[in-house]
Amino acid sequence: MNKQSAKHQTYAFQGKTPMDAASNENAKTITLTIDDESISVPQGSNVLEAAKRLSIDISSFCYHPGLSIAAVCRQCLVSIEGVPKLQPSCQAICQEGMVVRTQDEQSMDARRQMLEFTLVNHPIDCPICDRAGDCTLQKMYFEHDYQLSKIDVPKVRKPKAKDIGKHIMLDAERCILCTRCIRVCDEVANEHQLTMINRGDKQELTTTETLDNPYSLNTVDVCPVGALTEKEFRFSMRSWELMMTPSVCSGCSTGCNIEIHHRNTEVYRIKPRYHKDINKHWMCDEGRSIHKQWYENRLTGPMREGIPVSWEDAMTHAGHCIKTVLDTDCDSIGVVFSPHHTNEANYLLYKLTQSWGVKKLFMGGAVAVPDRADDILMDQDVTPNRQGVISIVDAGLEDTQTLISQITLGTIKTLIVLGSELDVAPMITDSSCQIIVFSEYETDMVSNASVAFPISAWMETDGSVTNRDNHIQRIYSAMPSAGQSLSAWETLVRLSNETGHGLKYNDLRSVDACMRRHHNFPQHNWDNVNPRVQLRFEHSRG
Amino acid sequence: MIDTLITIADWPGVKWVILVLMFALPVASLLTWAERRQSAMIQDRLGPNRANIGNIRLWGILHFVADVIKMIGKEDFIPGNAHRGLFKLAPILALVPVLIAFCIIPFGPTIYPHALFDVISTDALQGMIIHGGVANDLTWADQITLQILTIDFGLIFYFAILTFANYGTTLAGWSSYNKLALLGGLRASSQMMSYEVTMGLSLMGLFLIMGTLEPGEIVRQQGPNPWQWGIVLQPVAFLLFFSAAIAETKRAPFDLPEGESEIVGYFVEYSGLRWGMFFLSEFIEIVFISMLITSLFFGGWQVPFLHDDGLYLFGTVTEMNHITVSLLRILSFVMKVFFFCWFQLMIRWTLPRFRPDQLMQLGWKRLLPLALLNTMVTALILLWIQ
Amino acid sequence: MDTVTQSEKTTVGRATVVTVKREPSQTTSFMMTLIRGMTVTMRHFFSNLFTKTQTETLEYPEEKIPYPERHRGLHRLMKRDDGRVRCVACMCCPTACPANCITIVPAETDDPSVEKYPAVFEIDELRCIVCGLCVEACPCDAIRMDTKLHAAPVEFRGDAIETKTSLLERGGLSHAIQAGKGSDWRESEQ
Repeated sequence: MNKQSAKHQTYAFQGKTPMDAASNENAKTITLTIDDESISVPQGSNVLEAAKRLSIDISSFCYHPGLSIAAVCRQCLVSIEGVPKLQPSCQAICQEGMVVRTQDEQSMDARRQMLEFTLVNHPIDCPICDRAGDCTLQKMYFEHDYQLSKIDVPKVRKPKAKDIGKHIMLDAERCILCTRCIRVCDEVANEHQLTMINRGDKQELTTTETLDNPYSLNTVDVCPVGALTEKEFRFSMRSWELMMTPSVCSGCSTGCNIEIHHRNTEVYRIKPRYHKDINKHWMCDEGRSIHKQWYENRLTGPMREGIPVSWEDAMTHAGHCIKTVLDTDCDSIGVVFSPHHTNEANYLLYKLTQSWGVKKLFMGGAVAVPDRADDILMDQDVTPNRQGVISIVDAGLEDTQTLISQITLGTIKTLIVLGSELDVAPMITDSSCQIIVFSEYETDMVSNASVAFPISAWMETDGSVTNRDNHIQRIYSAMPSAGQSLSAWETLVRLSNETGHGLKYNDLRSVDACMRRHHNFPQHNWDNVNPRVQLRFEHSRG
Repeated sequence: MIDTLITIADWPGVKWVILVLMFALPVASLLTWAERRQSAMIQDRLGPNRANIGNIRLWGILHFVADVIKMIGKEDFIPGNAHRGLFKLAPILALVPVLIAFCIIPFGPTIYPHALFDVISTDALQGMIIHGGVANDLTWADQITLQILTIDFGLIFYFAILTFANYGTTLAGWSSYNKLALLGGLRASSQMMSYEVTMGLSLMGLFLIMGTLEPGEIVRQQGPNPWQWGIVLQPVAFLLFFSAAIAETKRAPFDLPEGESEIVGYFVEYSGLRWGMFFLSEFIEIVFISMLITSLFFGGWQVPFLHDDGLYLFGTVTEMNHITVSLLRILSFVMKVFFFCWFQLMIRWTLPRFRPDQLMQLGWKRLLPLALLNTMVTALILLWIQ
Repeated sequence: MDTVTQSEKTTVGRATVVTVKREPSQTTSFMMTLIRGMTVTMRHFFSNLFTKTQTETLEYPEEKIPYPERHRGLHRLMKRDDGRVRCVACMCCPTACPANCITIVPAETDDPSVEKYPAVFEIDELRCIVCGLCVEACPCDAIRMDTKLHAAPVEFRGDAIETKTSLLERGGLSHAIQAGKGSDWRESEQ
């Protein structure tokens, strides 16, 4: 199937998944009893989700709340009163008055035996498996089986380290045949690229064509074992060594919720974080590589005419430049906002222009990429916060074409630019404009700017962003700012003091409070919580 | 030619070089090693036994060479506010008096160089001494006294000189600009002054018996028979003098002024060779005290039953010539000194330290009255005998 | 202590004088104790002077106490039959290490039966607390501490870091059954 034909919404986003059913607030509620406790759930939810509400952990491999139900692993067997045989709880839809037992001897025994079956041909090469510590099979083994294998026939050998796509390696021996990855390709990416061949213990996962869909790495996320591994992350770090910081993808205006998995100041991988309305459990492959360019070419200290200077020097000089222009010709200042930065940074810049009396405001940011757009998650707009800038600067925001024409006309002689991404940057650099830029990266514009301030990059910033559907979400800084760089808001506050139009903010919380007063923003949690979570076995993602 | 040599040999400077530089200092240096080895043996250890030059190891005797090299290599540190002049003078004041005091030690008999291979009869010798020498007899013309200075007030001279050592320790404490060092210095001076009194008084009885203050004369008067030695005549005086002398050397159990590891002592600010001088002076004092005790209470260079002309044992006389007798006597002196050095180290590693109040109590309330009593009883007995 | 309770307070002018009554000084019986003490020290001195029966000291480089069977010494990395390192860079030992002294950089090999190997394996012997948890953690019998060697003193801190080469030099052959080598481990166990 090609991309053009994928114009209808895929199953994962149609609102029919078990997760949607279990969290459907409009549906009628029904009451059932699980392990002598009664619980009310929306009609249509399955027993496994209902048990989860009671904090009863029914083990499962093939069930994924964001995918269709296959019930192939038989790991979630429970006994239901009135039903003679054990039922897979993922497939059993809750009925009124249903009595379910999850911990009775019969179902526990069944689950343990199923696990033993699963482990028959599993190579148990945990020492070299990237999933170790994060693996559902390991977790189950410790919870249910915890005994030596009774099988003494040789294990079935299958292909190992098989390159099946741009990002993915397959170890077919480790595969426990749960078919989650097949369903991900079918239901999220809407491309049937994976399938099972053969039967019995010879059954094996394989590709129908190269696994190259833009959502292919979701298969790695859903894989409960280490059968599918990400090439970039493979063998680089153990998952239990990583810290997790919640954030939002900066790749496009969809604003998928992500987890940044990092250790010290190095980001190892990006994983999707569940959001009911935006990305569900998924994200695109492109978004997972946002951390890769981010180390390179960083601007680590303030610059004047391309020469590194101290913060004090840069501040004094910038303040002097701006004051001179404000006193003589206020209209010759242009300010470029950045849809690549948080609402707080843009709001402060807007406040500053208001107090300066600057009228010429422009929207910066990278140019849209129409080719990458699809109906699933990817958007042609590759700026994460365009909507936020629009809602902050409600009037008088002009596009970059106007900016270029004004520069050529000579009406703009001084330009204050937030962010390093600007589609018309080469034209500005060539012009005789005086530029003051706040940038994360060392671009041509930075080396030609009269003053350049280093600011924190996406993963070093705290703040909020607004996605294309006006969801305002909080991002957390995963690590300290690189080199001498400071957060954008802090740099702007210091510059405002330098120009004599002091913005009195001591922390981001007060900026946010002020912004909410003026722009009807929702309240975020600005408490001094440490959102970092170390990945551990009990938080296994399986 | 020979006359010149004899004159040179009889010159006090030469004798001082022989006694102090060639005997006392090496022995004191060796004692630094011996003390550590001895303490190790007492405590079932091995002690320093590894210093060597090539394959020559000698149970680690060369450790004292290593120590000197180490001390020379150390930083010579003087505290910022210290009185630099006195700070530098103090170790010299501690070391020099004891080197001077060696002058009174009789470390051998009088040698008659022209009669080295003759058997000297005691009668002839007595006659020579009584009649001031036989002028026409060349045999007695020249003599070498193995004592640097024969002065009539010898022991008084020693007490006077020793008081200077007190200045060394006190000034070391005072000039360091360190209150703990100052306290150490004060402890040292109070202790030394207290025990000097006992030291002097304890010898009074001996003086009464011998009728002289000159150590050479005291040794000669004790004679070759052990029952005439000071230890038999004055046993209490020996104990008192020995205790007081150990207190003078500031060694355990009287080591409160410095207290190697526990109490901060008067030379806490000293390092390198300056500290080494304090350390060495302590060991030289041990040698000196040993020599003095040997001379006063153990017959000095006397060998039991060895007269000038031979050995008088069980009624028989084994004749020996003058040089054999002299060498045996010098050897006897050396052996006795070694024994008392060893014995002092033994005491130092046996007894625990006194408390300051116990120290003062012992000095003033026990040793001093005992010394006075000893003097009085001796005087009374002498009076009674006469 | 009694000495404190026995103290007397008298007032002299504005000052309060506390007289502490101490135990009477033991100087009266001092001679006897001295002699008793001297007997002990002399006995030890002479017995040690002429024989060495009581000396506990071992002259270390020449005399050594044999190490116990489970002594933990310098680390070593074991080898496979073909001489390659057994370690599969599973990172269990740096995880278990309480002193964070093990650095492993994993890499991929061409051999499909091994897949992962340590490109860098370094142990900082200065940081190591010789607890042996790395050996306990190792699933592959790759790291051992049974060399009975001490970490040698070094002039520079960097010299104390044992590299993969030096760890392998001490390493011997291990025939332990490797995890992840297939199902035949059970047969060879019998």
